[in-house]
Amino acid sequence: MSTQDPADPGPSPDPGDPTVQLPTATGLAGPAVQPLLELEGVSRVYGEEVEIYALSDVSLQIMPGEFMSIVGPSGSGKSTMLGLLGVLDLPTSGTVRIAGQDVSALDDPKRSRLRGQSIGFVFQQFHLIPHLSALGNVETALLYRDIRPRERRQRAFEALDQLGLGARADHRPVQMSGGEQQRVALARAIVTEPLMILADEPTGALDSANAAHVLEIFAGLGTPERAVVMVTHDPTVADTALRKVSMRDGRIVADERRVA
Amino acid sequence: MSATRDLVGVAWTGLMARKVRTLLILLGPIIGVASMVGAVGLTESAKGALQVQLATLGTNLIIAQAGGTFGSQNPTLPGDAVRRVDSVSSVTSAAATTNLSGVISVPVQGASTYYEAFPVPVRAADDSLPSVLQVRLIDGRWLDSADRVLHLRSVVLGSGIAKQYGYLPGETRTIRLNNTNFGVVGVLGKVPLDPTLDNAAFVTQWAAQHVFDTNGKPNELYIRTKDGTTAATATVLATAINLGGPDQVSTQVPSNVLAAQAQANKTLQKVALFAGLLVLTVGGLGIANVMSISVIQRSSEIGIRRAVGHSRSKIGAQFLLESLFVGVLGGVLGALIGIAVVYLVSSLEHWVVEIGYGQIPIWMGLALLVSVIAGLYPSIRAARLEPLETLRLG
Ligand SMILES: Nc1ncnc2c1ncn2[C@@H]1O[C@H](COP(=O)(O)OP(=O)(O)O)[C@@H](O)[C@H]1O
Ligand SMILES: [Mg+2]
Repeated sequence: MSTQDPADPGPSPDPGDPTVQLPTATGLAGPAVQPLLELEGVSRVYGEEVEIYALSDVSLQIMPGEFMSIVGPSGSGKSTMLGLLGVLDLPTSGTVRIAGQDVSALDDPKRSRLRGQSIGFVFQQFHLIPHLSALGNVETALLYRDIRPRERRQRAFEALDQLGLGARADHRPVQMSGGEQQRVALARAIVTEPLMILADEPTGALDSANAAHVLEIFAGLGTPERAVVMVTHDPTVADTALRKVSMRDGRIVADERRVA
Repeated sequence: MSATRDLVGVAWTGLMARKVRTLLILLGPIIGVASMVGAVGLTESAKGALQVQLATLGTNLIIAQAGGTFGSQNPTLPGDAVRRVDSVSSVTSAAATTNLSGVISVPVQGASTYYEAFPVPVRAADDSLPSVLQVRLIDGRWLDSADRVLHLRSVVLGSGIAKQYGYLPGETRTIRLNNTNFGVVGVLGKVPLDPTLDNAAFVTQWAAQHVFDTNGKPNELYIRTKDGTTAATATVLATAINLGGPDQVSTQVPSNVLAAQAQANKTLQKVALFAGLLVLTVGGLGIANVMSISVIQRSSEIGIRRAVGHSRSKIGAQFLLESLFVGVLGGVLGALIGIAVVYLVSSLEHWVVEIGYGQIPIWMGLALLVSVIAGLYPSIRAARLEPLETLRLG
């Protein structure tokens, strides 16, 4: 129940194709709902003498409630795209908007606050701070937000507990398995209750059992307000999402949706 | 501000997570501040001790000696030198001593060979000598008019001689001066301004002239002046004593030596301060180096923090605060160690502790400044790191 539409890189379904008229978040909410995130003609160029177009003229809209995967071979620009979606990077040209706000217009403190409040990252290599406990790592996402330490600890613990790591709160990353570390990273991503969760190959460093567990958690992270975006090179992992964006050479070559 | 509280927590945790590394970079400010606090404290305490000594001894004592540049065999001063000196208006008191070079002192019978080989200087002294020197008797009494009038054969020992002779306080002891018995009546206290007096035995001028047949002409005068006139008095004394006669007179103000000693310590203090400054600077380079490496080692931490919303300035502040903590901690520990060293050495040397607390904030501030400057560049680098490059998205 999906459609291949390489001609259309944008999020709007081809009106000529009846199979795309699906009850996606976009379709249900109609034009009144603002996209959570919007890329408009975005290019990201690396290098000066030799220009590498990691992304070329990409447009994409992500609506609240979407569970989306970005799939493509290595070097196709997936991570570059995720960096732009998460405001860790800025486009060379084009516009990135979060909740209608052009991120290039913001200074670093504002952009950082926007990132901290609306985005939760998960990485392939977990990226936990080694000298902090699981709890400390999750708490990191709640710093500089005018939250009392006691409340911060409480919220961090709840996020860990929610992912079945309540007993591991005091453990340092080296004392935990890969699957556990990735769940700590997930707890860190959700503890701020972000509008969007961006994951780059979240199962890439895990064995199949742990990968399946993490994917299961991912599928449950979505809410009507929240979008979950997962980058992967693995088509079977990509297929667990309801919307699949395929990339090649810095361009979107397909944008497919299926019913849950 | 809660952001400041969070920042302090993050920086402190970062420092404490690497205790050995932190201890190593703490060494610079610790040693630097400790040596500066120690240098000032030790020299001040030593100087304090010297000043206390100077204050009790007085800086207004002049010693006038016969001889000068062209000395004869046994140069002497005029017989009425004390009277001549007393006539100088700035002189408050004066006492003379005469070297009795031919007199051999023997503490016990039958041991004369040794004491002939190493003779104890015997000196005839005026009644007023202890009061002019401002030195007390540590035992018994000084020579007085009764000794002279009643022709008593009394002797007072210098503190060094008393020790050498094994003289016990209050002991009745007879010693022999050129085969004449003399009774020990007292022991003179230490004379820091003229230690030669510690190693002499003193008899009256009467004994000098009538027992040992000397002419009574003094060799040294000890002269006290009114405060502030000492240097001027010293320059006119020679003339006042010889009154144009043939006698050569040299004068010295012995407290000047102690004062110069205190001055010399000032130089030592400067050297030590400079060394402390050097340690601090080198320590700063160490901090800068270690922090720079730390920024590279912790680049992934920096990327993570950026990803969860910490701004560039927060990252920079985090690293700068770590350096600042090193400066504060090193400064405090260094000051404590420096103070401890001063207390320890002062108690060993019986000095009165003089820390110079007023200067400690300067050294601690300097340690802080050096640490913060050292942390500046690494912090800027940390803030400028591109999060995507450090995170290496898959
Ligand atoms: N910092 C960079 N400097 C130069 N080229 C880069 C940089 N990051 C990515 N690229 C290039 O951009 C392209 C897309 O990379 P990336 O987004 O990491 O792809 P993917 O995640 O799909 O493997 C690749 O050709 C890569 O070499
Ligand atoms: Mg990638």
